[in-house]
Amino acid sequence: MPGGEAGGPAVGIGAPAAGRPSVAPAGSPLPPIELPTNCAGCGIDLDPDALRLQTYVCECGHHFPLHGEAWIALLADQGSWREYWADLRPVDFLHWNVPKSYSATLAEAAQEGLNEAVRTGTCEIAGHPVWLAAFDFRFVGGTLSVVAGERLVRAMERARHERIPFVLVTASGGARMQEGVLALMQMAKVNVAVAELDEAGVPYFSILSHPTYGGTAASLALLADINIAEHEAAIGFTGPRVIKQATYAEIPAGFQSAEFQLAHGQVDVVLQRPDLRARLAHYLELYT
Amino acid sequence: MPAGRMTAWERVQLARHPARPYSLDYILHLAPDFEELRGDRMTGDDPALVAGVGTWRGRTTMFFGQQKGRALADRVARSFGMMHPQGYRKAVRLAHQAAKFKFPIVSLIDTPGAYPGTTAEEDGIASAIGIAIREWFHIRVPVIAAIVGEGGSGGALGMAVADRVLMMENSIYSVAAPEAAAAIVWRDQAHKAEAAEQLHLTAPDLEELEIIDEVIEEPPGGAHTDFQASARRLDDAIHRHLQAVADHDRPRILENRRRRFLHVGHLHDHRALPRAVPSR
Repeated sequence: MPGGEAGGPAVGIGAPAAGRPSVAPAGSPLPPIELPTNCAGCGIDLDPDALRLQTYVCECGHHFPLHGEAWIALLADQGSWREYWADLRPVDFLHWNVPKSYSATLAEAAQEGLNEAVRTGTCEIAGHPVWLAAFDFRFVGGTLSVVAGERLVRAMERARHERIPFVLVTASGGARMQEGVLALMQMAKVNVAVAELDEAGVPYFSILSHPTYGGTAASLALLADINIAEHEAAIGFTGPRVIKQATYAEIPAGFQSAEFQLAHGQVDVVLQRPDLRARLAHYLELYT
Repeated sequence: MPAGRMTAWERVQLARHPARPYSLDYILHLAPDFEELRGDRMTGDDPALVAGVGTWRGRTTMFFGQQKGRALADRVARSFGMMHPQGYRKAVRLAHQAAKFKFPIVSLIDTPGAYPGTTAEEDGIASAIGIAIREWFHIRVPVIAAIVGEGGSGGALGMAVADRVLMMENSIYSVAAPEAAAAIVWRDQAHKAEAAEQLHLTAPDLEELEIIDEVIEEPPGGAHTDFQASARRLDDAIHRHLQAVADHDRPRILENRRRRFLHVGHLHDHRALPRAVPSR
């Protein structure tokens, strides 16, 4: 059942806040997302239109991962989103050409109307102005790239100068292989901006959605003032398949789940999607 | 073999050569009175990272070195140089200590990557690396990093946020190990040599990409063929760069370090692109 904190009372230790603002679960109607025919959680035939109205959370509680535009629609007050730096485009610095050329990968993504793995802009969330950055897993697995790093840094720099909070939504496989060490360096680059947000006392809230791994998890995603894990998000550094290959370890059930990260002290709260926006609005109220 | 004709994969093999000098070999050469300091003051110590102080060129210096270990038991004890969260937390603790006492920092990199196992995940490896990377931008003393073997992924970067980054000629520095990149891009590790070529992970490649400041020449055949000569060259290069940082960058050391990493990837010139107008 959507709504309410994931995992029941064990998760919600501490007094529930009275006086949280009452905020609609979505800022505006969500765009279509790619859906399977049946729910992975309960197996029922999915009705895309009905699901869309319930922020793509099935009656059984299963959360379907959102793409960047859907995240922006979910969080931003209707009509408030203004995108910045959409004109920054990736470059095939390393002339990566096997087994498939990076330029061809980029061209295909552009054909599908996708614009890099991170989108940045300003919006209001329940009336609070913020700088928002949303990863898009459809674009080369939401990988951290030179353009993604540059957009993230610019958004954080603007948030710092304007002294308004920075909100991040992650969905990422890590750093982008096809940009090699230039992609790796983005982990350091974005953390310069995180360090400076800290020094300036500008709030940073991070929503970790499914999946958040590798260089994205190990750079800025877990360094916010408040880390929010979306229910059912898998979050970690090394993926379970690689861990199994490298160490022959049995992967326990629930390993790297949002609740696992809460239990291990890595996130402040696990929330179901319909509660995210209201909770974020409350944090914004408390921190600004 | 003349260095210029080596393939990327041959370099990878040299970087991983079992006889290759390891970080601790170099540290003991630089500072024979090296005293190891251990523990993160939270949950433990990570033997994959050697840390401590010693006298180098007449002054106390803080050394870090990712250490693979040579005999099997030592290799296992050190997780083959793959750091756990405790290692990054130990590094943060001692980097702040170095800043407190104005000790310069030398960080030697040699790791396949951070430890890819369940214990590291349970202890928060992702945030440990992230915090380490962030904290280097607050450490107000000169930091010189040198990649002496493998610079694997975020696990290497977590110890390589420095004012100068140097590489031994046959070391590698990569977003992922060639095997891992092949598994991701080809879905088949067998393509590791092709991946190594594509990743541009050799020292000359990274010098060309302006990621590193100097390639430190190795004896013909690799660093293991003449350790004394390799160590002298590393010593000399670190010293030159440390002097340059101490002489020119000291008052703006954090600003310069931050700028170095902000400017990666040729998209840094905001003026070249329309600067958006604030929405309010």
